[in-house]
Amino acid sequence: MIETASAIIGAVEAKEADSASVVGPDLAPISLRVNGVVRLVQIEPRMTLAEALRGPLGLTGTKIACNRGACSACTVWLDGATVCACMMLAIEVGTRSVTTIEGLATGDKLHPVQTAFIVHDALQCGFCTPGMVMSCAALLEHKSDPTADDVNAAISGHFCRCGTYPHVVSATLAAASARKA
Amino acid sequence: MNRFSWASARTISEAAAATSMTVADAMKAAPDAANGRETSVVKAGGIDLLDLLKENLLAPTKVVSLRDIAGLTIIAEQTGGLRIGSMVTLANAAVHPLVRQRYPALADALQSSASPQIRNVATLGGNLLQRPRCWYFRAAEYHCLRKGGGHCFAISGENQYHAIFDNQSCAIVHPSTAATALVALGATLELANSEGMTRNLLLEDFFVSPDRDLQRENDLNPQEILTAILLPALPASLRMAHLKQGEKDSFDWPLADVAVGLDLVSDRTCRGAAIILGAAAPVPHRAKAAEKIIVGRRVDDASAAEAAHAALNGATPLTKNAYKLPLFETLVRRAILKAAIHQ
Amino acid sequence: MAIDATTRTEKFPYGIASVGLGEVERQIPVEEPSPLPPNAVLTVIGKPVPRQNGRAKVTGATRFTVDIALPGMLHGRILRAPLPHAEVRTIDSTAAARHPGVRAIIPIATPGDPATAIVRYIGAPIVAVAAVSMAAAEEALHDIRVDYKPLPFVVDMDKAREPTSPAVYDSASAPKGHVSGFPAAAGLPLNGNVRGPATDVRGDPVQGFAQADAVVEGEFRTQVQTHCCLEPHAIVADWRADGLTVYMSTQFTAGVRHELAETFGLPLNSVRVIVDGMGGGFGSKSSLGTYGRVAVALSRQAHAPVRIILDRKEEQMDAGNRPGTWQRLRIGAKRDGALTAISLVSYGTAGVTVGAGIGNVAQAMYACANFQASQHDVFINAGPGCAMRAPGNTPGAWAVEQAIDELAERLSIDPLALRDRIDLSPVRREERRIGAERIGWQQRHAPGTDPGPIKRGLGVAQSLWGAHVQINCACEVRIMRDGSVEVLSGVQDIGTGIGTVMAQVAAEVLGLHIEKITVRIGDTEFPGGPPSYGSRTTASITPAVRTAASRVLQSLLREAALALNAAPDDLVARDGRILVRHDLSRSMSFAEAAGRLRTDRTSAVASRSDDYAGFRQRMEDAAIARQDLGGVQFAAVAVDTETGIIRVERVVAVQDCGRPMNPLLIESQVQGGVLMGTSYALFEERILDQHTGRMVNPNLEQYKLAGPRETPAIDVVVLENYQGQSATDAYGIAEPASIATAPAIANAVYNAIGVRLRSLPITPAAVLAALGKVPSGNSRT
Repeated sequence: MIETASAIIGAVEAKEADSASVVGPDLAPISLRVNGVVRLVQIEPRMTLAEALRGPLGLTGTKIACNRGACSACTVWLDGATVCACMMLAIEVGTRSVTTIEGLATGDKLHPVQTAFIVHDALQCGFCTPGMVMSCAALLEHKSDPTADDVNAAISGHFCRCGTYPHVVSATLAAASARKA
Repeated sequence: MNRFSWASARTISEAAAATSMTVADAMKAAPDAANGRETSVVKAGGIDLLDLLKENLLAPTKVVSLRDIAGLTIIAEQTGGLRIGSMVTLANAAVHPLVRQRYPALADALQSSASPQIRNVATLGGNLLQRPRCWYFRAAEYHCLRKGGGHCFAISGENQYHAIFDNQSCAIVHPSTAATALVALGATLELANSEGMTRNLLLEDFFVSPDRDLQRENDLNPQEILTAILLPALPASLRMAHLKQGEKDSFDWPLADVAVGLDLVSDRTCRGAAIILGAAAPVPHRAKAAEKIIVGRRVDDASAAEAAHAALNGATPLTKNAYKLPLFETLVRRAILKAAIHQ
Repeated sequence: MAIDATTRTEKFPYGIASVGLGEVERQIPVEEPSPLPPNAVLTVIGKPVPRQNGRAKVTGATRFTVDIALPGMLHGRILRAPLPHAEVRTIDSTAAARHPGVRAIIPIATPGDPATAIVRYIGAPIVAVAAVSMAAAEEALHDIRVDYKPLPFVVDMDKAREPTSPAVYDSASAPKGHVSGFPAAAGLPLNGNVRGPATDVRGDPVQGFAQADAVVEGEFRTQVQTHCCLEPHAIVADWRADGLTVYMSTQFTAGVRHELAETFGLPLNSVRVIVDGMGGGFGSKSSLGTYGRVAVALSRQAHAPVRIILDRKEEQMDAGNRPGTWQRLRIGAKRDGALTAISLVSYGTAGVTVGAGIGNVAQAMYACANFQASQHDVFINAGPGCAMRAPGNTPGAWAVEQAIDELAERLSIDPLALRDRIDLSPVRREERRIGAERIGWQQRHAPGTDPGPIKRGLGVAQSLWGAHVQINCACEVRIMRDGSVEVLSGVQDIGTGIGTVMAQVAAEVLGLHIEKITVRIGDTEFPGGPPSYGSRTTASITPAVRTAASRVLQSLLREAALALNAAPDDLVARDGRILVRHDLSRSMSFAEAAGRLRTDRTSAVASRSDDYAGFRQRMEDAAIARQDLGGVQFAAVAVDTETGIIRVERVVAVQDCGRPMNPLLIESQVQGGVLMGTSYALFEERILDQHTGRMVNPNLEQYKLAGPRETPAIDVVVLENYQGQSATDAYGIAEPASIATAPAIANAVYNAIGVRLRSLPITPAAVLAALGKVPSGNSRT
């Protein structure tokens, strides 16, 4: 049972400070900062961040489609940079900040990219959509005036079988304009 | 993935001491950890490692992270050249001002690799040490030569993406696109062991071709860590270009990639050349005949074409990859002209 | 003429809006609503309404089957055959059964059982376990000992055709086809691995060829393509004493429900199938499947819910594929282009099953009195094929549209002019006209005439697709006492946004803003919906929505009429109000009218009626409409003749779908079809190692798919083509939009480089070889 998250975090961090302290292979507690909230979760070292998010953390918005980093469906932000959560071990996240699709909107207020995706129909079945949104939103954090080439570069790792790429590009460009306005 | 324990090394020595064997050696060890043997490997970005673990090609009992070791993520000027820590991500290296300004061909090679997500995590060191992408190698069901088995499945099989040089025993192509550019610009590597001793060697000499040892791609020793990639100071007269051609542009391995470095005098006469082919051979392939042709000549359409043609001298294509010959010829010619004229 | 009290006469808009609309008279059942006017005068239908479930999808809130975790849920995994052809001699699961995490084991292949003991492809399912965690399930699989006796195998279709080839089946065990003809006809002969021919003859082809002034002939090959749905096949089976509930990523909730009832001997009323988010199907998720059946069996044995999610390797090896084909097509014509004969011989492979027919393009697209086709299935030891987005017609069009292109050149007739001559469809004629202008067809040069290494070209191709309709489907519309509205059906949204379209229909009928309509779909608790394959969803369910909404509106109008002192027929529902038609000052709000309902809610259920002028063909629960769907696509490509790289720069896709219900969603569908066609043309191939029979690229990395940088600029034009056949007159578009792209690209490549590529995919290697640039022999000094 968790008393206070901070007490446990302290304990975990102290443990990490020991000489090359070994964790696992059995379940061990780690803390993860996800969408601004520090969560405590039991993981085996072999558990990927995607598995930790979807399983014990109950955040199923991040999808696993290929499990090899080849399709980018599992894209989350790690300290603001896009990464494939399936190619990251939960245990190595450490104190870095994870942002998932669930953390992009602010309460009821959608991120401009999310709104633009709906308006421009940049989604169909929706399975690749969370990862796609995370990549496009990350682009806008770094580039306020992207070109279509910039968007294509940002989503170049994404695979969408339904074929949403054209609308993803127009939605992202529209979101960028809306943000500037 | 098998169950493994996890530790985070704080120093290079700790990391080196903690790795009982290289990944190449570990992949030859029985995947059954139940036989009691402790095998531990290091993890840099983990992109290649996680793939090997997920495919059950590798089953270490312990994984040691390099992420907390100080100093490995620094990019700094060094004796006029550049020192890139082995844990620098492909993304950070690609956008670093000094890399973009002084080694733009390397920046191009890095930027064309993989996807933004992979580049944000994969390290330059891990990229150089990654194991091949051959689909027989990557499938546990095939116990191929490189994994200690008796047979190369590619030579008589599906070899459309495989080597056109040095392919008589094992037909892999070296998987690192960055290596093509780094070999062309004469990069060296710094490696450190558990006693803190370092050694430096040319990247070009670090790769191991199949006739020397076909069960590993490089000269990394057990209990040794790659700590830095050192780029020499380049003369102002040196022009470089890197071109990659995938079957598609969105996130694909190269069918062919080429790095060309030309030392040019003012009328575009070449007095030194490095022409390196990637995705052509088990190691980055230096096209010596091409270099010989272009050195001493003024670089123009004709000399570029001649050199490009010679770059494929000695090629021994397999049943399905002869298309790489005209493809490489085109890329070499275009890279030469890009380096010399269109910069 | 006798007066039929069950029908009445109505006039419907008819024709192609851009050509000019007329009218057609139909006899329609009395209970059908009045004819729906053209889109221009409608409020919600035909408008670009954003998806209602868009918000849930962009926030990650949508629950896909892979996201569902029930209390006490177990994880299922399937052990699969490591050999391409083998007899399963013994299976020893005792160690797996003893694993502390294992709760159930279900055999799939049974030693000694002639029906299941022989496995015929790598990846064939052998035995399944359910355990408390995925890790435990994996460990348990590892503990199962199977003794296989290897048998000779063949994975190359050409080799499999040879009489000396290893046989995949003997005559007793080979698939028998089906009386319906789908996926293949019954009663065809089997010679070794070759089943067939299925023959089709019309007129006198021999005479036809004798009369021809020109004959083109070509051999074409198409590759095996896999669906690559982003969401893998997945099911959560929850077997309980009081009934079976199944969550499944499926294209057909009603069909799976029937399969479950039949397979497990359950009454329909104790079987429920549910799907909310569904991550793509493209034809591969149309039935229960072995994994589905096994999940239910595991749940029954374990007395706990069981979830099975196929991993990407399983998806690539055993979740279906588009069969590969070899075709020889001959077309004869007169000097003026009139076709005199078409002859087609095809061999296709759907692996261990049947269904590699190449559809009806050659038979039906162009006017030709004399036709013959001889189609064969070839068995190989590879994963079974199944329907994949426009099955049959996709490989069929690859050949036909290139042959027509070649014929046009032979006759020195423009390819569009030739089609104007031989294509009787007025819809495609209009599509050709519109598309030609958009792409700039006038600027098309002679083949291979661009100077320099980058050569550009334009090409055109057409698609033909039967307009499928599911008659057995229904919808319920409910009006609540507070004026809120629900639309309910078991239909599933596989990415097309059908729920939004259904809301549009209800909103139009009820005169409400679309936000007032809540759509609940994907649950067999609701009236049974159509399958979402064959591009039939919109055609099947939207008329039922309109009819049900019209009916339930009548009950509301009866209440309102009393209050407004008018007859129900005098009332209209518009802008959220009920108004007296001839005196708009007399009105009440929709909610006020609903408040007068006798009970908490009133509802009406309606099913899909027959097309008003009848169907072309009827098969039990389904039918094919009289008018086909189709489209014409133009491609502009740039070929780098020094690298072999093809860039598809632009595609103009002109398509028809009856009444377009939502241009925003339709545009997405068409872009998706063009992208899938582009990917099929240039990149995709299931590659089997000949020596071991294993797929070497069972992933999304080496199985190559078009990505953002391969995406052409896509211009979508959708005709309004009114036919007066149903309450909405709407039809589907997904498959018609994916058929023509690959041959359009091939024809554009021919125009660019003057060399025809007849095999898919058109890789850089293939282009360089076609240009004579690839050396033969294996060395270069």
